[in-house]
Amino acid sequence: MFDLVFWLPVMVGGTVAGASSGLLGTFIVGMRIPFLGVCVAHAALAGAVFGSLCGLEGQALLFPALAGSVLTALVLGLLDPQRVHLDDNVVLSFLFSATMGLAFLGIGLHGILGRSDNDVRGLLWGSLNFCRWRDVWLMLASAGALVIYIALFFKELRAIMFSRADAAAAGIRVTVVWSGLLILIAVVLTVNFQTVGGLMIYSLISNPAAAAFQLVKGCRRVMLWSAILGAASGLGGFLISAATDLPSGAVIVLVSSALLAVAALIRRWR
Amino acid sequence: MSAPAAEISELTVQAARRCVLDIEQLNLPAGQITALLGRNGAGKTTLLRACLGFVKLARGAVRVLDCDVPRLEAAALARFRRRIGYVPQLLPIRSEMPLTVREVVAIGRTGRAGLFRSFTRTDWQVVDEWIERLGLGALAGRSFAEISGGEQRKAIIARAMAQQPELLILDEPTANLDLGWRERMVEIIQQIHAETALPILLVCHELEVLPPACRNVVLLGDGRVLAVGTPENVFTGERVTALYGAGLRVIHEHGRHAVVPRGGAHV
Repeated sequence: MFDLVFWLPVMVGGTVAGASSGLLGTFIVGMRIPFLGVCVAHAALAGAVFGSLCGLEGQALLFPALAGSVLTALVLGLLDPQRVHLDDNVVLSFLFSATMGLAFLGIGLHGILGRSDNDVRGLLWGSLNFCRWRDVWLMLASAGALVIYIALFFKELRAIMFSRADAAAAGIRVTVVWSGLLILIAVVLTVNFQTVGGLMIYSLISNPAAAAFQLVKGCRRVMLWSAILGAASGLGGFLISAATDLPSGAVIVLVSSALLAVAALIRRWR
Repeated sequence: MSAPAAEISELTVQAARRCVLDIEQLNLPAGQITALLGRNGAGKTTLLRACLGFVKLARGAVRVLDCDVPRLEAAALARFRRRIGYVPQLLPIRSEMPLTVREVVAIGRTGRAGLFRSFTRTDWQVVDEWIERLGLGALAGRSFAEISGGEQRKAIIARAMAQQPELLILDEPTANLDLGWRERMVEIIQQIHAETALPILLVCHELEVLPPACRNVVLLGDGRVLAVGTPENVFTGERVTALYGAGLRVIHEHGRHAVVPRGGAHV
């Protein structure tokens, strides 16, 4: 028997994670920086690892995880690619390796100090099936902040998505607006990671946005469709997994991949 | 006589400890098209970037539209850049780009509209006016990534003009365009200047790209100003030979200019 009281937060969590990841995926895919998701995840992990070494545990690890991911986002946002003569993806690669190194150093220190690192590992590999209402509220709050930010700075973000250099030349405060978006991306991804796991989030960032790019034109429409397809992947994947007793994370990833394949076929047939 | 659109004095820019720009004095007159020519690596784009405040100066002064560019702090620099329409040499083309042509042109109004403010009806009217004036009306709803290179260039010029700029900077606007598109682009620059009397700073490699209205040419070489004057005075046969090698001659006819092999043009 399907226990709705138990599974309802899981369904809502999957839907919210899909919608928010799909929405910010529009910018990540549109600006060709898909590595950002991996980078933020490892920065969050590094933050949580050192938080754990300082004695924090359970939900409290979210704070150092957020600190790690936001700090990394700020470094990326404040670096001017033209001034440092490095492409965003090269900077992301550097940040990824640095944060991953820190995270594994911290995990190694857990072993040396004889401490458990289960809470920390759960951050990267959280499972949607354990999502509770408290997690859902956090996800809703971070997704709400993202939506408000995008609504407030929509025209600037649209220009930045086209080209940061061109936007700066047109007199747009790129560093301020771009850094703000990166911070929110870091917050949304960190909250989603610890609730539903890294694997699922990576696919929900890229697949719905890539599918939306196939189907519609115009920044607003792409964002809307990306969020809808992300939500459909999260909820649809969970419902299929519940009906077939297959692992929910894997099914959600496969549903989002299938949506992208269908979108590509629709574009080809048009 | 009105103040120059830009005044540059004792300017030195260094990159990797090498001097890439060293200009004693250069004025860009108001209301005129000024063409900046020179070989690859002459410092043309660096000079444009210095005018826009993107380059750190080793020394010197860059005064554009009555603003002391190097001394502007971030907010003032953003306000200053809103007064300049800039068409870059390289266009950001990505297949994942979700923006339509109309949205790309609207980027020109974004800075002017200001933070926390939506576009007004006037903003969209200006956007649509420049879309129509540059013949992009039928493409307005199309994806920017899907239109041709020439149409993309026109959209970027429309974007710069939608800014209602006080100075238009064009960095090789005919790069990678075929002959037909190149001529259309020259006509567009000529038309914009005739209709708006905007000062235009045009960077190009070929004399063929100079519109007839361009009567002021700055020739750069190794970061220095080699000559300033009319195209006929600056591009003499001797200078072209010295710059690009022997076997070339210059044709100046009906306000247009061309460099051809000395063997002669076949008709």
